[in-house]
Amino acid sequence: MFEVRLRLSKTGKLKYVSHLDMFRIMQRAVRRADIPLWYTEGFNPHPYISFLLALSLGVEGINEPVDIRIVGEMTTAEIKDRLNNVLPAGLEITDCSLPFNKSAEITYGAYDVWYSKEDISSDKLFEALSSGELSCQKSGKSGRKKIMKTVNVSEHIKKFSLEEADGMILLKVILPAGSTFNLNPLQLTQSVGDYLGISLTPVRAVRTALLCEDLSEFR
Amino acid sequence: MQDFKLDKILPLVQKPARYVGGELNSVTKDKDKVDIRYAFCFPDSYEIGMSHLGIKILYSVANAREDTWCERVFAPWPDMEEKMRENNIPLFALESGDAIKDFDFIGFTLQYELCYTNVLNMLDLAGLPVKAKDRKGLAPIVMGGGPCACNPEPIAEFFDLFSLGEGEELNSEIMDLYKEHKKRGSTKEEFLVDAAKIEGVYVPSLYDISYNEDGTVKAVTPKNGAPEKVTKRIIKDLDSVFYPEDFVVPFIDVVHDRVTHEIFRGCIRGCRFCQAGFLYRPIREKSPEVINEQCKKLCETTGYDEISLCSLSSSDYTKMEELLNLLLDWTGEKKINVALPSLRVDNFSEELMKKLTGVRKSGLTFAPEAGTQRMRDVINKNVTEEEMLETARIAFSGGYCAVKLYFMLGLPTETDEDVEGIGKLAKKVVDEFYNNPDRPQGKGVTVGVSASSFVPKPFTPFQWEPQATQDELKAKQEHLKDTLPSKKINVSFHHIPTSFLEGVFARGDRRLSEVIELAWRKGCKFDGWGDMFLYEKWLEAFEETNVAPEFYANRKREYEEILPWDHLDYGVSKKFLINENKKAHNAETTAHCRQKCAGCGANKLNGGHCDV
Repeated sequence: MFEVRLRLSKTGKLKYVSHLDMFRIMQRAVRRADIPLWYTEGFNPHPYISFLLALSLGVEGINEPVDIRIVGEMTTAEIKDRLNNVLPAGLEITDCSLPFNKSAEITYGAYDVWYSKEDISSDKLFEALSSGELSCQKSGKSGRKKIMKTVNVSEHIKKFSLEEADGMILLKVILPAGSTFNLNPLQLTQSVGDYLGISLTPVRAVRTALLCEDLSEFR
Repeated sequence: MQDFKLDKILPLVQKPARYVGGELNSVTKDKDKVDIRYAFCFPDSYEIGMSHLGIKILYSVANAREDTWCERVFAPWPDMEEKMRENNIPLFALESGDAIKDFDFIGFTLQYELCYTNVLNMLDLAGLPVKAKDRKGLAPIVMGGGPCACNPEPIAEFFDLFSLGEGEELNSEIMDLYKEHKKRGSTKEEFLVDAAKIEGVYVPSLYDISYNEDGTVKAVTPKNGAPEKVTKRIIKDLDSVFYPEDFVVPFIDVVHDRVTHEIFRGCIRGCRFCQAGFLYRPIREKSPEVINEQCKKLCETTGYDEISLCSLSSSDYTKMEELLNLLLDWTGEKKINVALPSLRVDNFSEELMKKLTGVRKSGLTFAPEAGTQRMRDVINKNVTEEEMLETARIAFSGGYCAVKLYFMLGLPTETDEDVEGIGKLAKKVVDEFYNNPDRPQGKGVTVGVSASSFVPKPFTPFQWEPQATQDELKAKQEHLKDTLPSKKINVSFHHIPTSFLEGVFARGDRRLSEVIELAWRKGCKFDGWGDMFLYEKWLEAFEETNVAPEFYANRKREYEEILPWDHLDYGVSKKFLINENKKAHNAETTAHCRQKCAGCGANKLNGGHCDV
């Protein structure tokens, strides 16, 4: 038995497919590809497929790590090819290799977020992102009770840059991601909109990479 | 085309993946290279529609034609509908995202009566007039099929044509004819007159209905050469008929998400309340080898890990042992489960259960349908109490500790004693558990009793019977609750007004079109979903159109009366149904088809042959 780390690109319409549904989709793909998966032992055996970090509904990803466990012999190149032959449009394996980092090392996500110039100007966006006053509501827990918490967004923006491309504004931003705290680009956009008093949705939001604490790429 | 508009609203609705298409095995074609664009509509949510086998088969049949692109359409959930209307997005097909208004065909599958308002709502969302006569051009042809097409009169005014019976061959014949007429530049009327000549096609606009003073049908008069009787179509040989090599595999979780395979059509049992048991006759089996190969192929193309063998009564399949041996030969290794719903209590064997028990042993469901032997004889549910208790014993010894029992209330001739019998039978099942030394240790038993309200349906021996009134049904529910002999029994009931409305539509006539349209305009839709059912609005609609719903639901018909669906022929003869009705009133049973042919007449559709 050995573990391989797939890199999954999930784009286009697939951004509307939830994290929960992805497990089943991958499970079936692996069956169609006839890849010898390792099954968990116990009462209700199921294959080991692990999406290391959830991707929010509405956000695309081009480099999402998925670990699977294989029994028997199959090269990483063959695993990748077989899966790509059976995946629906919008899903693609871009890489298959042995895991290097541990999943707990995931600390940040790097995102590309596009806005229409009709919705917001670069200056306004820059002003909001540099204001230090962005906040949003996130559901959290107080004991057992579910509550809404106000989160200071500004202090969680690790890094950002703005450029204009194809008549749109491209925000490149690094936000916390991982098992302890997450902030996704849609929440960030919402808080920018709240700050400016406008309703704002990005044209497109893509997670391009996951990063470790020292901002090196998670591999 | 609408992608950008859609991207704006999809983040705002629940489960947006319902509306984007692109699932594995969904079919995309070049729209400039096809002659026919077909919108296959299921008038309910994506999750319900995608669970339905018929749509999978007919979708594949249509797309196997090079000249046709068939796409799927489901009823948008109200949150999505609201956003679509706000943003002027018309109802679109999932594969192309194109508005279905400009398609050649819009076909609805009509699985249950309470979806009728959704049909209207979908036509309206598409930007089309709901009434057939207001849609002037040749296209789109709005057609309907499925079980409710056996009495389509309440919705006749909204449809151009209905296809009766099994659609694998019929739909293609309709499309061929349409293609000719499209080339010729025919009007819709010209096409419909010609279409009515195809066996199995019912064009309601070609039939004039007149009524007696008492409101019953006086005459149904065909015109323009339409046949006096329209006979449903069947597929004669299930082994050679088209079956899909792949299914569209949904991204999101749907109700039935697995390989489904029909092992036979029709039913030998003849339970008198059961419409499916008569509508789908004659009985025709598919051979184990063909089923096995097709299941294998489907598992390969979908990646599903469950196969469900379906039919009206799976344990009546004559070659079950053979089939299971073929399937279990390869499914075990691939970790694929085989499920077998619709088992009967009388031939549920220990061996069969051993073969099927994979890992999950949660609950078991049986349908005694009635609480006393007399009542079961009336409905011809030929199962005895001993058989049921024996089944429960086997199940409990096999590790089950929850049993669900399905019953009906309001059956013809039902007395208080019959109602009490439901509780008594459930209690015996409870006792069977505690008297069983092999029962699962350390666990209690739960016996669920689900009591629905009986709805008389066309083409059954009970098609003349009055449906129990809402007050009667209420009293029966109360009586059952009051006489339950054990706390281990959980009883649940169906919503009475919903069953009442179902009863009205099931045996209704054309005058109900107006009611349905008005109710829909008042906001009724998704009537089958309890939380969206607006009974008050329905009552208003009946009142404002001067239609008494009780006339359809609660009135006893005489054998001589012309029934609104008498000009449709589903194979089973009226003479047979009358005979069965009389036997029911004498609590006399009829043996099943393999014991003795009861002469229902359906075999005329298959050259006099049944697979018994």
